Amino acid sequence: MKNILISGVVIALLTFSGCSDKDPVIDDTAQNEETPIEKVAPIKTETVSSDDASVISEDTSMSEDTSNDYSSDNDSNNYSSESITSIEEEMLPIYFDFDRFNIKQSMQSNLSNDVRVANGSASKYSLKLEGNCDEWGSDEYNFALGLKRANTVKKSLVAEGVDVNRITMVSYGESNPTCTDKTEECWSKNRRVDFKLLP
Amino acid sequence: MKILISLLMTITIIFASDATIEVIKKADSLPSIAVEDSSIGINKEFKIKFFKSLVADLNVISLFNVDRNYRTPKYDANEVSYENKDSDYVVRYKIIKKDNGELNIKLKMFNKDKIVFNKNYKIKQSKIYMFVAHAIAYDINKFMGEAPIGWIKRKVIFSRIISPKKSELVIADYTLSYQHTIVKGGFNIFPKWATKAQDSFYYTSLDERKPTLKYINIKTGQSKIIKSSDGMMICSDVSDDGKKLLLTMAPTGQPDIYIYDVNTKKTLKLTNYGGIDVNAQFMGKNKIAFVSNRLGNPNIFSKKIGSNSVEQMVYYGKSNAACSTFDEYIVYKSRESSNAFAKNTFNLHLISTQTDFIRRLTAVGINEFPRFSVNGDAIIFIKNYKAQSSIGIIRLNHNKNYLFPLKYGKVQSMDW
Repeated sequence: MKNILISGVVIALLTFSGCSDKDPVIDDTAQNEETPIEKVAPIKTETVSSDDASVISEDTSMSEDTSNDYSSDNDSNNYSSESITSIEEEMLPIYFDFDRFNIKQSMQSNLSNDVRVANGSASKYSLKLEGNCDEWGSDEYNFALGLKRANTVKKSLVAEGVDVNRITMVSYGESNPTCTDKTEECWSKNRRVDFKLLP
Repeated sequence: MKILISLLMTITIIFASDATIEVIKKADSLPSIAVEDSSIGINKEFKIKFFKSLVADLNVISLFNVDRNYRTPKYDANEVSYENKDSDYVVRYKIIKKDNGELNIKLKMFNKDKIVFNKNYKIKQSKIYMFVAHAIAYDINKFMGEAPIGWIKRKVIFSRIISPKKSELVIADYTLSYQHTIVKGGFNIFPKWATKAQDSFYYTSLDERKPTLKYINIKTGQSKIIKSSDGMMICSDVSDDGKKLLLTMAPTGQPDIYIYDVNTKKTLKLTNYGGIDVNAQFMGKNKIAFVSNRLGNPNIFSKKIGSNSVEQMVYYGKSNAACSTFDEYIVYKSRESSNAFAKNTFNLHLISTQTDFIRRLTAVGINEFPRFSVNGDAIIFIKNYKAQSSIGIIRLNHNKNYLFPLKYGKVQSMDW
């Protein structure tokens, strides 16, 4: 009995010391001990980003020329830009599967049509192939995917006799969607190569 | 004896539950901080904006439980506000507006009624007030003995898509509360700071006949054309000294990585794979990490400049299409779902080239375009979630993420 009593007391003491460990007051003390330097440092003055002020002043802002490549004051050029637009409309986009840049069987008829126009009514213009992707990613990889699509179309055109020197390419990544809904049908419309004509 | 055993068991249970208690304690153990505004004669709306900005910054430094209540004692009062008596720290400031529009901000920090830190700040225009809040947060973080957080004072440059083939380049603070459009009109993307001092930047213009890399010095307004390439032209990374650029170009329709010397203007091709090689990042002076689809899906690889051998860096994730590096660390974007057509989740993961350690940094939505901070302790990224574009900050050492939403448009890319 005496043994049990002693061990009981010992355990009670252990338990209580355990409790005091959890007491937040102890934590506060510890924190106060860690409190750094009490003396007041001399007051310094920092001029915050006088640089920033100059960086962001309005007069450094630059505006890029946004005018359309084809627009011009010249009447004859206006006429030619209309004909460019109407020939461009004859050229059909080539659509691609997700994460792929090979031309699907179902796109062969579009491609044949584009080759016909490129070698026909569009033959005096340069061709700009614009590769596009769906919205899954704004990174460089997505731009590269758009470019690989344009490059596949370029190779097909060249194989069909279009002069390689007439063709330039650009990738717009996901930044030029024709459709912005969140549906598969919409995304599939954005995975495409468009044709533009340059004088 | 039985009693002894049962008592011992009780103790074991108490100690076992201690582990949980400790975790809770840890979460609660951040010191509290309150902010007091002693400004007089300043527009109320501006005062609240400044207060909120400072509270948000104190929150982001992740060292305090920040009290969001707005209190206005006198600046010279020796004691903190009665309501802030229990706060471990109290920051008190006074904004003074000069006749020329300049702002002076006097600041002191109390720890239990003793002033432990004070400093004055000056700015020429009140519209860049948030940079003062960032500077104050930087100083308080430093005063608390933490590693410096230089990134909090840095500027973010990003490209915002406003409509198809239309974008603008914007310079902002890291919270996007300050925004200044530096290039308007046209289709300009992938801006990249040219120097550590952030006084100039590169960007890709898609308005020319061929994609063109351009350069603008913000201070002088000087702009020049660096280089053009058919198909693609992106400045992926700038070396620490600003003298070398890693470019993605595709002169023959084939996206590859090139290194460009700013002084000699010479270009050297670094990759030759017939698929996609993009997004190169310097790993020290002689090595790069990059994204390639050479094993079928996009993944992260590295190679020494001048060597032909390529090393796979990441073995986790189906499709890893973007990366950023700092010392031995690589943060990369990974597609979490294999469904091409349903909702996709893209998360950011962190690996070390020295260990097998992989840490997932984000949980939901589309998280992309990770960029390490200058000293590597934070990552900035783009989050697109439920039609909202935001810039996010991950504090690696504090395991916390913060999001700053964009009011309109979509962030295409950015640099920090």
